[in-house]
Amino acid sequence: MKKIKYEDIGSILNPLKNLQFFARKPVTEPLGPRPAAEIYRGFHLNDMEKCIGCSTCQKICDNAAITMVKVPHLKNDPVNGIRNLRPAIDYGRCCWCALCVDICPVGAIELSREYVHTCNGDEVDSYFMLPQEKGMHGTVEEKGWTKTETNDLLDRHRQKMGEMAPEERVDNFDEIVDGFTPEQAVLEASRCVQCGMCHDSCPTHMHAPEYIRAIWKGNVEEAVEWMYETNPFSHVCGRVCTHRCETACSLNQTGLPQGSEPIAIRWLKRYAMDAVPHERIKEIAASKKSATRTGKKIAIIGAGPAGLTAAFDLIKQGHEVQVFEALAKAGGMTRYGIPYYRLPDDILERDVDVILSMGVKIQYNTRIGKDIAMEQLHKDYDAVILAIGLQSGRSTRIPGSDHKDVHSAVELLRKIGSVRDDIKAEKDPGFEIPRSAVVIGGGNVAMDIGRSLARYQKQQYGEVNMTITAIDAMENFPADDVEIKESLEEGITIIPSRGPQEVMLENGRVKGLRTWKVISVFDDDGRFAPQYDESDEQLFEAEMVIEAIGQMAETDLLGEELTEQLEWQRGRIKVTEDGATSVDWLWSAGDCVNGPDVVHAVADGHRVAESINEALSVER
Amino acid sequence: MNCEEINLWLDTLLAEIEEIEVTRKSERRVRVDVPASSLPALLELLKGKASYVHLSAISCVDWPDDEEFELVYHCWSYEAKSLLSAHTRIPRNSAQEFAHYVSVYDIYKPAAFFERDIYEMYGIYFESSPYMEKFILTEWNGPPPMRKDFDAEQYVNDTFNWADYHPQWLQELEEDGGGIAVRPEDIRL
Amino acid sequence: MRPENYQLVALPNSDEYELFIGPNHPGIEGNYAFKLKLDGDRVISGKADAGYLHRGFEKLMEGRLWIQNLAIVPRICVPDPVPMEVVYSLTVEDIEKMEVPLRGQWIRVMQLELSRIASHLFTFGGHAATTGMYTPSYWGVADRDLALDLFEELTGGRVYHIYNIPGGVRRDIPNGFLDRLSDYLDYLETRQNDYDNLLFTNQVFVKRARNVGVINQEQALEWGVTGPNLRATGLAFDVRRDDPYLIYNELDFEIPTQTAGDCLARILVRRDELFQSVRILRQIIKHLPSVKGPVRAPIPNPLAWNVSMGESYCRVESSKGELAYYTVSDGGPKPYRVHVRGASSMHAVQVLENMAVGQRIEDIAQIMFSLDACPPEVDR
Repeated sequence: MKKIKYEDIGSILNPLKNLQFFARKPVTEPLGPRPAAEIYRGFHLNDMEKCIGCSTCQKICDNAAITMVKVPHLKNDPVNGIRNLRPAIDYGRCCWCALCVDICPVGAIELSREYVHTCNGDEVDSYFMLPQEKGMHGTVEEKGWTKTETNDLLDRHRQKMGEMAPEERVDNFDEIVDGFTPEQAVLEASRCVQCGMCHDSCPTHMHAPEYIRAIWKGNVEEAVEWMYETNPFSHVCGRVCTHRCETACSLNQTGLPQGSEPIAIRWLKRYAMDAVPHERIKEIAASKKSATRTGKKIAIIGAGPAGLTAAFDLIKQGHEVQVFEALAKAGGMTRYGIPYYRLPDDILERDVDVILSMGVKIQYNTRIGKDIAMEQLHKDYDAVILAIGLQSGRSTRIPGSDHKDVHSAVELLRKIGSVRDDIKAEKDPGFEIPRSAVVIGGGNVAMDIGRSLARYQKQQYGEVNMTITAIDAMENFPADDVEIKESLEEGITIIPSRGPQEVMLENGRVKGLRTWKVISVFDDDGRFAPQYDESDEQLFEAEMVIEAIGQMAETDLLGEELTEQLEWQRGRIKVTEDGATSVDWLWSAGDCVNGPDVVHAVADGHRVAESINEALSVER
Repeated sequence: MNCEEINLWLDTLLAEIEEIEVTRKSERRVRVDVPASSLPALLELLKGKASYVHLSAISCVDWPDDEEFELVYHCWSYEAKSLLSAHTRIPRNSAQEFAHYVSVYDIYKPAAFFERDIYEMYGIYFESSPYMEKFILTEWNGPPPMRKDFDAEQYVNDTFNWADYHPQWLQELEEDGGGIAVRPEDIRL
Repeated sequence: MRPENYQLVALPNSDEYELFIGPNHPGIEGNYAFKLKLDGDRVISGKADAGYLHRGFEKLMEGRLWIQNLAIVPRICVPDPVPMEVVYSLTVEDIEKMEVPLRGQWIRVMQLELSRIASHLFTFGGHAATTGMYTPSYWGVADRDLALDLFEELTGGRVYHIYNIPGGVRRDIPNGFLDRLSDYLDYLETRQNDYDNLLFTNQVFVKRARNVGVINQEQALEWGVTGPNLRATGLAFDVRRDDPYLIYNELDFEIPTQTAGDCLARILVRRDELFQSVRILRQIIKHLPSVKGPVRAPIPNPLAWNVSMGESYCRVESSKGELAYYTVSDGGPKPYRVHVRGASSMHAVQVLENMAVGQRIEDIAQIMFSLDACPPEVDR
């Protein structure tokens, strides 16, 4: 670099040297708008199909420039994580920082290279616009600032939860997952963008955004308060919920190079419930109880999630509630259907205990229709809720399926559950454990029975010899992915696309299951009509065959008269949206209405309780 | 004196002041917590004897829960190449009356600007500071705005209107049963 | 100040009068006013008047999430926004004890130096214009625009880059960017002669700038002068070297100084500094490709980011001088306090008021531009 001395006075002629500029080529710029750089931050683009309406862009916008607008013709399906809201931008406020692009969970909103917009004074409305794929003037061809792995601001990956290794867990019924540590829970909760898809998709509309935020703030009690607004089975749901919320979660995205896992909402719920002392949870639950008593009496048949949730609500509203349970303990399918390694009994016990502490009375070992007649309930109570669940298994009705070593999965699970109740013995389920067994069915119940029996096999014979086979292709198994994964890890063989044809017998004992290869499950109209390749026959050798292909309600308790009085629909009692049957004192709720699902049963319990409360209030 | 000597000298110097707490945060950052009564003496020593001739800034932090203002004097030594932040706390008064403290203008000239700034923004009156008058907020008659109890967003919402746009596309959506669902002011985190 | 609030000053002596320069005046850098009391052409005293640009940034920042503030910090200094972004990020990183990946640090320094060039070019133009020479101001703005083109390519924004983020920078550099940066530096070097001829060794300018607005080193230290203005009094102090941040201690550069402490000395220091920045950028162009790795450290979900409790005072050398942020976190999702200490809060107020005394009225604008005072740093 040429030095200039301060002392140098300079020359008056120096500027004249710049006369040479007359000889240089002049710089000319075209009149039209200059093309912007490749990652220019110009006006917004929004892929209307990709956008899920989660409004995360609105939350990050530091200038409050984004308004969420409802676009009616778009899909609105929060259960699948899509709302029909789309961001509209106020260009009087936007500063083009592109934080909305960086945070968008799906990568729908982007900036373009378009930067010129002007209007007459009376058209300022044109600065408020709903970005589309082609930009604000419909002419954009090239994108500007877009989402890349580098500028993505979201934490896409879950906190890894500790769990037992397959070899450690396969010979016992200990709970598999460890639960979050406080640090993990706060980190996991911090990933939430508070879109509320989880709330909308949850059958019982749990306040998940609120309790996740509370956990993030370190306030687990507040989290539990939010949970008890909508779910008295939070311990149970914290462990075995089908977690539609996580399916709907805005962070549950495929197709991004960096991947994206939903918030572990279920585990967060479990964490908060475990973190608050049991006595405190009771206080929280009781704090919402009405002080006045209505004097109305309600009978509930079945102490499962639906029945007990209804009981919880009704007692809060000041009614008197009596629950009748045919078995020895409360919990219904959550106790007698879900194995201990997924839901330990003492955890379930805590939920039940909170409900009992509210003043709900349960009469155990009382089967309605046998011990007490339905008519009697009608006389003694102002309303009756039928929450009997689905207690008997469906059968394939293939030849040989009436053999004594062909069982239904729910029946076996109930046996396992009952025995565990009484003697807490891990070794003896009260029936002979087969050395080899085959389960028909691809749902969670099939996995539950398969994995439970596998544990007994491991304990008694030292090895697992268990096959689960189903008519569906592997990717269409109704069971949760994690159930399938863990079953395989535990040494269970899963064979998809096989149609059971016959239970083979030899000398009066079960020898195995004969199956055909499935070509297609449904016909062109979408009806269940499996087609087989008869040449591809396979025999699964087994001492026991277990059917896990669906469940039915046992409705004989109703009695002939009532059965006739009620309206039916496809074998189920017909109910209104609120769970009211066609008989004015009888409501029905839970699995026997909706099919098997805990959180649905809870939602149903709320709905029925609300409906009864209203009906009884009108009478008053 | 080289850096090390100055630092050594500083440590002995600081040991002479009562109720002082020194934390060396890194090679070039020292935090000193000092009672309000000793602060001017500390600064005098720092500038006069320890080469901290440059007052980089005076920062004020409002701690309404403690009913205190924290004043932080950031002093830099060109020789020791070290920045000393002297923290002190003074009682906080209500917004109607000023809190009071002494000026360090006679030690550090740049203090005049920062003291005036704090006077305007936090309502702390610095005795014997040369310009205890309005500078930036000449037209403002409300409470000192940087105090935590002044809610700027609330003030803006009360004073100004949000623009109400109603373009054609929005009208069309409204006819179809759509329209504005969540306004930005509803979800500010 | 609104007209209705002007107060007539009663002047006892008939040949003294008051003159307001600004808040809207070509001789004032930005929206700022300077009230002069004059006796003929001589300034008796001057009084800075700020507040025309006050947007309450410090207050705004307390109401926004940590990351949302990224969009407003560059607005505190329009001609030289990068140091604002960087120093804000530095304080957050310091509180969170976050390590910026090396590549991110190199890219940050690259922007800082490019921004310094752009800012100095702007000042050349502004300073020249106050002496009645308008060609350098066109040149300065035009050449600065080429730097803005590079910024546009790098960050997607020409003026407000919003490119730095706590943890690093938002994206990696585009393909071929270093080549284009290199071309720009070549171009700047070819322009050196033109600028020298037109401005720095132009007798018309030199005579106007020499011995005007003199401040000696002792006064400068007393009044808190920093940056190029301090170096023009002979003290070779530079935060980049003496209180190093990022990777400045790995770079080889000189600290230009002058001793006269007048307008000419100040602009000559800036001229030399610009070419030191070119030198630094050349080193970066050579080194950056070999610095592999990510450009930023991951941060938590910005919507739920509680920065740990703590405080940090970080400073950088901006083109105007010492720029520092004092950031306090109470462990919440938003800053508890951010104090912006711009170099101009000294230069544009007390230093200018002191320097103005005894000067001639036509030199006031020149003095202000030679101090490179940036009013938004005062107002915030």
